[in-house]
Amino acid sequence: MNADCHEEAPLEPRILDYLRTRLPDARALALANVQRIAVGWSHETWLFDLDYEEGDEAHTLGLCLRRDPGNALLRELSDLGEQFRVLECLARTDLPAPKPYWYESDPAILGAPFLVMEKVPGTCPNPWGREGRAFYAEAAARGTLPASFTATLAQMHTLDWRAAGLEFLGEPAPGNGFARREIAKWRALIEAAEHTAEPVLTDLVCWLEGNAPPTDRVTLVHGAYRTGNLLVHEDRVSAVLDWELQVLGDPLYDVAYVLSDLNREGTPLLSNLVERDAFVRDYEAATGFAIDLDTCRYYDALYAMRSVAFWMSASGLYAAGRSEDIRLARTAWSVPVVLDQAARHLGY
Amino acid sequence: MNDAELLGRIARTLKEDVGPEVADEYARTQAYLGAVVLQKLARQLALAPAHDAARSADYAELADDLRALLPADAPARLAAALDAFDAARDADALAGLVGALHEAGTALAGETSDVLLARVRRTLRADLDRRLEIAR
Repeated sequence: MNADCHEEAPLEPRILDYLRTRLPDARALALANVQRIAVGWSHETWLFDLDYEEGDEAHTLGLCLRRDPGNALLRELSDLGEQFRVLECLARTDLPAPKPYWYESDPAILGAPFLVMEKVPGTCPNPWGREGRAFYAEAAARGTLPASFTATLAQMHTLDWRAAGLEFLGEPAPGNGFARREIAKWRALIEAAEHTAEPVLTDLVCWLEGNAPPTDRVTLVHGAYRTGNLLVHEDRVSAVLDWELQVLGDPLYDVAYVLSDLNREGTPLLSNLVERDAFVRDYEAATGFAIDLDTCRYYDALYAMRSVAFWMSASGLYAAGRSEDIRLARTAWSVPVVLDQAARHLGY
Repeated sequence: MNDAELLGRIARTLKEDVGPEVADEYARTQAYLGAVVLQKLARQLALAPAHDAARSADYAELADDLRALLPADAPARLAAALDAFDAARDADALAGLVGALHEAGTALAGETSDVLLARVRRTLRADLDRRLEIAR
């Protein structure tokens, strides 16, 4: 395992020391197949296998460790503690998600708060790369994974979130409280980024506030349901990943995200995987919810605001010297691209 | 060699000579993204004089057009926002004007609000298109 260059001591021995405390009856602990995933811009993530002996038996446990580097994008919105709590709740349901093992807020252990969860079998091909697009295109032709994609989303939207203990995420106020709450959340992130004024953004936010739709129902909402955030194993969704943007709210928020042009490239398939008509038909049949396309178009505009917030926050982290990752600097030029989308939503 | 050309050449070196020689995935990505950022800065520098001039002209024309369109009985906040924009001619003041326009909304008779907003949006679109020359 490559230790972070800013670490005082190599991470692997410290992980082993920690796991010994969590598995006091285990002997001969060793890490294998250690892999740091450098995809996201939020928390640091490592995958590895833990080999150990207990009694007369040898065991191997696939684990995933996520650590808060202190400058993760959106960390104020969803810290690892909340992510762990969400996973604990989901473990009480049938929704495929990694089983959570431990969460530690004490930075003394591994240098920063971290959580350890199950390493679920599967792959997560990047839908923006050539290989990933080919993977999903082939899966689309077989038909099984697209059905699993839709069924898993429907399952998420119909699970009993109260029984699962997810009410801590906060139920939105009735009426158009969900949309208003999302607007307020992204506005706060934008203001914290201290970006220069953007008149198109002002235009968008005013429109969003003036047209917020009422919510018919409140469900668990993932916030970023798409290929690239789903583990795939044997042509099925084996786990829904990236529980950082989840809320209680309008399921059409997720549906709009699936329908969005932003999540597909060079193909009419939603999320590079699912035929649109099939998605609508199967989702409506599985949930009993009707997909209101006007509401979805509103949420598409709301996602434009969210994207602006993301890119302003990202470039703001770099500008403030809180990160040296040049990918964040690059996002400064993503802001006008998203503003262009926002303007087109508004008709210009 | 001007500044834009210098940045462009450094970008090319990073992309063609440095990046391909770096084994570590993260460091390699940093080299390539560094090249991308420098290319965009180079283009931004090269286009700045023309873009700044176009923006100034657009803002001046917008202020004049809005003054002609604004009814005498427009809400005070909207009139003040237009005065502020006319004085500052910057993005801050334009954002304030957009906000005031939305706020005025139904207080303006008939389709006045839509007409004013449509005129502002023409300027916003022109500015976006200039920025997209660099961003895309």
